[in-house]
Amino acid sequence: MTNRFSFSRSSRRDLLRAGMCGVCVTAGATIPVKAFAQAAAALSTQGNADGKILVVLELSGGNDGLNTVVPYGDDAYYKLRPNLGIPKKEVRRIDEHFGFSGGMAGFERLYKDGKLAIVHGCGYENPSFSHFTSMAYWHTAAPNSGEEYGWVGRLADAMAPQAPPNYLVNIGARQSLAVRSHRHVPVVFDDPNKFSQEKFYEERDALAAAPDSGKVDNPSRRFLLDTAKSAKDASALVREAWSKYRSPIDYGIVGLDLPKVVALIDAGMPTRLYYTSYRNNAFDTHVFQSDTHKRLLTYASDAVYAFIRDLQRIKRADDVVVMVFSEFGRRVPENVNLGTDHGTANLMFVAGTKVKGGQYGQIPSLTKLDPGDNLIYTTDFRRVYATMISSWLGYRDTHTLLNGDFQTFDIFA
Amino acid sequence: MFRRLRFFGPLVLAAALPALAQKAGPAAWQNDLTAIGPADWNEDFAAHLLERAGFGGTPEEIRALAKLTPAKAVARLVRFEGADAGNLPPFDESGIHDAGLEPFPPTRPAVTDLAKKNGEALGIKVKASGNRRLQPVVDEFFYWLRASVLETNRVAYWWANRMLASPRPLQEKMALFWHGHFASNEAKVRDYRKLLGQLELFQKQGLGNFRDLTLAVAQGPAMLSFLDAGVNVKGASNENFAREIMELFTMGVGHYTEKDIREAARAFTGWNYVDLKFVVNKDQHDDGEKTFLGHTGRFDGVEVIDIIMQQPVTADYIAGKIYRYFVRQDLSPEFQTQLGAVLRQNKYELRPLLEKIFLSRDFYSQASVGTRIQSPVELAVTTYKKLGLKSIPGVPDFNLVTGALGQQLFSPPTVAGWAQGQAWVTPGLLLERANFARDVLFPDISFLPPDRYTGGGEVRRVAERIREGMDISTATKDDAKSGDIAESNKNADRDEEFNTRYGSFRGSQMAIERVKAIPRDTAQVNLSRMVLNADLQNTTQVVDYLIHRFMRVPPGAAARQKLIDFLNKDLGTTNIAEARTYMEQSLRLVLHLIMSQPEYQLG
Repeated sequence: MTNRFSFSRSSRRDLLRAGMCGVCVTAGATIPVKAFAQAAAALSTQGNADGKILVVLELSGGNDGLNTVVPYGDDAYYKLRPNLGIPKKEVRRIDEHFGFSGGMAGFERLYKDGKLAIVHGCGYENPSFSHFTSMAYWHTAAPNSGEEYGWVGRLADAMAPQAPPNYLVNIGARQSLAVRSHRHVPVVFDDPNKFSQEKFYEERDALAAAPDSGKVDNPSRRFLLDTAKSAKDASALVREAWSKYRSPIDYGIVGLDLPKVVALIDAGMPTRLYYTSYRNNAFDTHVFQSDTHKRLLTYASDAVYAFIRDLQRIKRADDVVVMVFSEFGRRVPENVNLGTDHGTANLMFVAGTKVKGGQYGQIPSLTKLDPGDNLIYTTDFRRVYATMISSWLGYRDTHTLLNGDFQTFDIFA
Repeated sequence: MFRRLRFFGPLVLAAALPALAQKAGPAAWQNDLTAIGPADWNEDFAAHLLERAGFGGTPEEIRALAKLTPAKAVARLVRFEGADAGNLPPFDESGIHDAGLEPFPPTRPAVTDLAKKNGEALGIKVKASGNRRLQPVVDEFFYWLRASVLETNRVAYWWANRMLASPRPLQEKMALFWHGHFASNEAKVRDYRKLLGQLELFQKQGLGNFRDLTLAVAQGPAMLSFLDAGVNVKGASNENFAREIMELFTMGVGHYTEKDIREAARAFTGWNYVDLKFVVNKDQHDDGEKTFLGHTGRFDGVEVIDIIMQQPVTADYIAGKIYRYFVRQDLSPEFQTQLGAVLRQNKYELRPLLEKIFLSRDFYSQASVGTRIQSPVELAVTTYKKLGLKSIPGVPDFNLVTGALGQQLFSPPTVAGWAQGQAWVTPGLLLERANFARDVLFPDISFLPPDRYTGGGEVRRVAERIREGMDISTATKDDAKSGDIAESNKNADRDEEFNTRYGSFRGSQMAIERVKAIPRDTAQVNLSRMVLNADLQNTTQVVDYLIHRFMRVPPGAAARQKLIDFLNKDLGTTNIAEARTYMEQSLRLVLHLIMSQPEYQLG
C-alpha cells in the first residue's frame, strides 16, 4: 500500500521527472513516435470500427463495498455494523438510500454529473473466500474452473487475432493473470522512465538486433525471447509518451497508474485494453479498518475523477471507460477487531463521459444473508464484462468468450 | 593482421562452440527419481547443482565440487558436510528500539487517540501546554516507522551478504524459499526485530522439520502480527490466520471447507505476542469442542497444525512447492505424489527430500537444466558471485535494485509471497534486469544513498522550508495546484494538535541519526585480470569464456557472433595480448551485452 506517509524508496524517479537527469537520456534512441503509432493504430482497428478503449482498474484485497456506497437508509446496516457503520452525517448522499464514504468527493461529483454507473450485487455462484482464488476467477471470468488465460487476454485474442504490437497494456510490477493471452504478449511495465534499456552509444548496433526467432525447444527461453521482442516494440513509445505528458490535473496522493494511461492515449498508442490495479491487497481490511479504508477510497476516488477530467483535457474522454472491481466484498457484520472479513457480492463501477450514470442491478438484501453472514449476489459479474465487451468495445461474440450467455446492461449513452 | 583473423577465426570457433551449451542428462531422465552415479558426474552437472542449491559459483568453486562424488557434493550442500560455517558475522544492530514503543498502535490516529486518553503514548508524554501538544508523540510514531524500514534494509544487506559468502549456500537459498512461503512484510509488521527473528528461524530450521518449522513460524511475532492473529479472540474469531495457514502454508486451496476455517480460527483464539514473545491469553482462548477436518475435540492451535500434518495432501503440497522452487515449474500430479511420499516417509524431515531431488536423474534431465527463470534476488547474488565478489556492493543499492525487479527482501507483495517462474519477467522488467548489470559494471557517479538521502519529495520539501525558518504550518503546506484540489490533499493541509507532515519529516531526521549507514563501496571488478588468468588469447575465446562463466544457456549463434564483432571493433584487435593494457572498458561493455541477453535470466 502506498500512502503519503510511506517514504518513497526511489529518488531516481523524482529526479527524472524533475528533468534533472538530462544527461542520462540515452543517445540515439528517438524513434518517430507518431508515425509508428499511426501505423500501429491502423492495424489495430481491423474488425472493430470505432477504436474505443477499455481501462480496467482492480482494487485488490477485497474492497468493503458496504462502506464504499453506504446504505445509510437501511437500519440493518447500522445494526450489523455498530462500530464500523459510517454515520449518516458523514455520508455523501446520492439518494434516499445510498451515499459515498466521506472522502469520495470525486465519485460523488462523477455520479452527480451522470458519468458514473454503480452496479449492485456483483458476484458468482459458489464464491471463494480466498483472495487468490477469487481474484483468479475474476481475472479469468471463469469461476470454479481451471481457465488458463485471462479474460482481457482472451478478448485481445478475439478482437485482434493477428496480435499487433502494443494492443494490450498492463501497468504494474507484475503481469496480471487477467491479461494472459494466447497470442498477444502484453506490454507490462511499471515506471515508464525505467522502461528502457540504458545503453552506451557504442552498444547500439549490438543491442538493436532482433531477438532470436528460430525454433527454440526450451520453453522458458522461448518466453524470454518473446518478452524481449515485446519490450523492443513498446519501450521507446511508452517512454516518449511519458516524457511528453504534462498535466495540470491533481490526481491526489496516490494517483494509481491512471496518469500513465492518459499519457499513452494522448501519444496515440494503438492500445485498446489497459489493465491497472490498486496493488498489494491494499483493501484487505481485517482490523481497524475505518481510517485506512476511508483513506484508500479517497485516493481511488480522487484518481478516477482526475482520470476522467484528464481525458477531457486531451479530448479523448468519449473514447474511454474505466471499469472498477474487487475480488470480493466483505462480511456484512463487522468483526471484533473493528475490521471485516472476506465476503462475497460487491459493487462494480463504470465511469466515463459516455456512461449513463446511475445504479444498475438489484440491491442485495442486508437481512437475508447466506449462512456465513454474506450478501447473496444478484448480478453475475460477467454481465458487466459482457457489457464492456459488447456494448462498449463492439465485440459481439461474448458467448464464446465468456462461456455463457450474460445479459448486458444498457449502460452507455 | 586481418588475414590472420580470417585464418584462425573458424578454427577457434570450432574448438570453442561445443563447450558453450551446458550438458544435460537425456530426456528420458525426466520424472526419474533414481540417483545418478559417479560416472554421470561432471563439471556441468556440478555447476547446475550449485546454481540451484545455492547461488551459482565461480569456475574454481564448480571445479572443486565436480571433484567430489555426486553423493558427497549433495551432502556438502544439504548436510553441510565439510562446509564449515566459517566466521559469518551476526547482524550488527543499530540499537534503535525504544522500550515504550510496544505495543505499537496500528495507525497514527490510534496513537494520537491513545495519547489523548492516557496523556502519553509510545513512551512519550503529551506536552503540558502550548502549541502542538501531541507533536512529540507523532514524531516518535514516524521515527519508528522510518527507523524500522531503514534497519530492515540493513538486515536485507546482511542476509544478501550471507547468500554470497556463506559456505552453506543452501541454508540461505532455503531461507529465501521460506521467506516467500511464510511471507510477511515490513510494511505490515513494521518491526525489523520480528522479521530478523523470523529470518534467523528460517536459517536455523529451514532444512529441518516442516511441522516444527510451521509451528515456530505460526508462533512467531512476525507472522502473528502479519496475519492479525493477535486480535483473534474467543466469541468472534478472525479467520485470516487460520485461512492462510491452510490455503498457503500447508494444504493448498480446495482441501478444506469454510467451516474448517472457522473451527480452526477458534482453536487459534488467544494466540498473541508481547513484544517478541509468543503468549496464549487463556481467557481469550475458545476451549470448546471443535470439529476440524473430520476430527472432533477441544483443540488448540498446535493440535490443529498436527491434524493438518496428518493430511497426505500437506506433504504433496509442500514437496511440490519445494520442487518447483528448485527444479522447474511443471510437474505432474503423479510425480508430485511421489515427492510427497518421500516427505511423509521421513516424517516431514526436509533433508532427505532435498537429497532425493538433488541426486535424481530428473534434476539433471534436459527438462530441468537451464529452464528456470531466476528471481531478482538470485539474479543479483549470482551475478556478484560469478564476478568473484566477496561482498554485496553498496552501489547500486541492493534493495532498490531487487525491489525494482520485483523482489525486495522483507517486502513480498502479499501473504502468498512472490509468484515464481515466468511471473518474474515482463517486458519492462527484462530491460530493467539489463540495467542492473549496467549499474554494477558502470557505477552511477551521481548515486545518492537512499538511507541518507531520505524520504520522498514531500519530506525533503518540508525539510528545506524548515531550514529556511518557516513556521510548521507554512512549511508543511502543499504547493497549491490550480483549480480542483484532490480531497486527500485538502485533508493533509489541515492543522491539528499535531502536524503529520512535520512528524514525518522529524521522524526521518531522528531515524537517520540512529540507524547505521550501509557502506557504499562499488563492485570491485577486474575483468582484465579474469581474462589474463584464464589465459585467453583472442576475442572469440574471451566471449566464449564469459558466456560459459556467466550464462547457463548460451545465446543463439547470431547473437554470439554480434558479441564477438562488437569486441573486435571496440578493442581494435582480436589479439588479447595487444589489448591487455586498455581492454577493461571493452570487456565490461561486452559483459553488459552478455547480461542483456534474454537467456541471461535462466539459471
